[in-house]
Amino acid sequence: MLNVLLVDDDNEFTDVAANIIEFLGHHVSVAANLKEAYEWLDSQPFEHILLDFMLPDGSGLHLIDHLKKIQSKAQVTFITGHPSVKGILAEISGPQMGYLVKPLQREDIEGVLSKQPKIKPQAKTSSIKRHFGCLIGESAPMQELYLMIERVAKTSANVMLMGSSGVGKEVVATAIHKASQVKGQLVTTNCGALSKELIGSELFGHEKGAFTGAVAKKEGVFERAEDGTLFLDEVTEMPIDMQPNLLRVLESKKVIKVGGTKEIPVNCRVVSASNRTMESIATDKVLREDIYFRLAVFPIHIPSLRERKEDIPLLAKAFLEELNSENGCEYVWTDAQLERLSKFDWPGNVRELRHSVHRAFIMSDPKGNEIQLPHTFESPFSQTKKQDNNVTAGQTIENVEKELIRITLEKVEGNKTAAAEMLGISTKTLYNRLHAYGDFAE
Amino acid sequence: MSSDEDQSVNQLVHDARSPLNRISMNAELIKLILENDMPKEKGIEAIDKIINACQECSDTLQVLSSQHGNK
Repeated sequence: MLNVLLVDDDNEFTDVAANIIEFLGHHVSVAANLKEAYEWLDSQPFEHILLDFMLPDGSGLHLIDHLKKIQSKAQVTFITGHPSVKGILAEISGPQMGYLVKPLQREDIEGVLSKQPKIKPQAKTSSIKRHFGCLIGESAPMQELYLMIERVAKTSANVMLMGSSGVGKEVVATAIHKASQVKGQLVTTNCGALSKELIGSELFGHEKGAFTGAVAKKEGVFERAEDGTLFLDEVTEMPIDMQPNLLRVLESKKVIKVGGTKEIPVNCRVVSASNRTMESIATDKVLREDIYFRLAVFPIHIPSLRERKEDIPLLAKAFLEELNSENGCEYVWTDAQLERLSKFDWPGNVRELRHSVHRAFIMSDPKGNEIQLPHTFESPFSQTKKQDNNVTAGQTIENVEKELIRITLEKVEGNKTAAAEMLGISTKTLYNRLHAYGDFAE
Repeated sequence: MSSDEDQSVNQLVHDARSPLNRISMNAELIKLILENDMPKEKGIEAIDKIINACQECSDTLQVLSSQHGNK
């Protein structure tokens, strides 16, 4: 909403124009001559002045002089019905000044008021260091992680990232890609979200007419990541019968598109990720041994947030800085709030912390600059200790279903294939439910 | 046309633009009233202003015609 001053001696025009300007959501004050305009300008600041060129007690240019004198930063739009004045106005108008010729239309007024240059908050340079341009944290486990990224970046070895959900596996993959300084791009694909039928086409591409719906030739992710990095997220959720095909590509560095015969050479580093522990990978037989050794030439364990609690204030400050800069706000943390955040367990890791900061940001009073933390950090992940899963009258089917999915996932340590099997639904249905609930989103 | 005549025409054109401006703005207001289901009295008031402005504009054009039209 802008504070607009309308200066014109035609009362009938100012009446109707004021109505329209208010309709457009702005606050408007009206002056019929220069004297009244000066009085308004001395009493309050205006962001925009709609000004008639010919006024009973002088010219609109006198008002421009007055604006300079009082150092007003208001945008000025001259309104004139005099054809000869149009030429003069075109010459004097600039970024702070424009003109409209009568008869006016609503769009004219809407146009000049919406063009109001917004005073953008100065982009502050963050004091928080982002390692490899994306990783935040100065704790010992993170320093160890940075060292590993640095070392592996110099080689072309495949990397397997391990760590619980929300620790930032994709961010680490980005860091490896950046540190490698390769000329190709980083291509990401989630192996758990692809159906058995489509995974071959996604990874290796397909020829036109290879299957129903293959209306055109498609490049697979291996080709797209040429001379770059391919990030295979949730690699342990890939159907076991598809794994020999992946192994062949990793060994031969050549792909054959679905429905094709020609071998295409590929060259990219494969960074894969899994939520599972080493033990689970070995005992649950979700990944063939030969493929594990191809993918995990250099395994990296990403520490959970509770293993690096000293980074919590730094991360909270960085997330708040981002939100402040996106929304032009100036919220700050108090020491007590940062301490409260540090004491929490964050079972959903950095992702959960980021969500909580965002939620607090939305809930904060826009008039103040103090962020308001909720009384509890409630999320499906933060209730790990809560075992109350009794079904009682009054609960919705959706809530019961959501709770059942949550405890099943907990039971199987986040393994979605196992959870889907336990729940008696397909993995695809489970993913659909998780997407629908949002809270569980990866 | 002399410069005095020029000035006179410009003044009359300016005078004709003022009622045209009111017509245009009141028509915009009526559009807003109809789009937002506002009381029709406000709309009728704006229509009356348009009718008056049309008359005023016609009078100015008449002066323009009688002063310069037959030359």
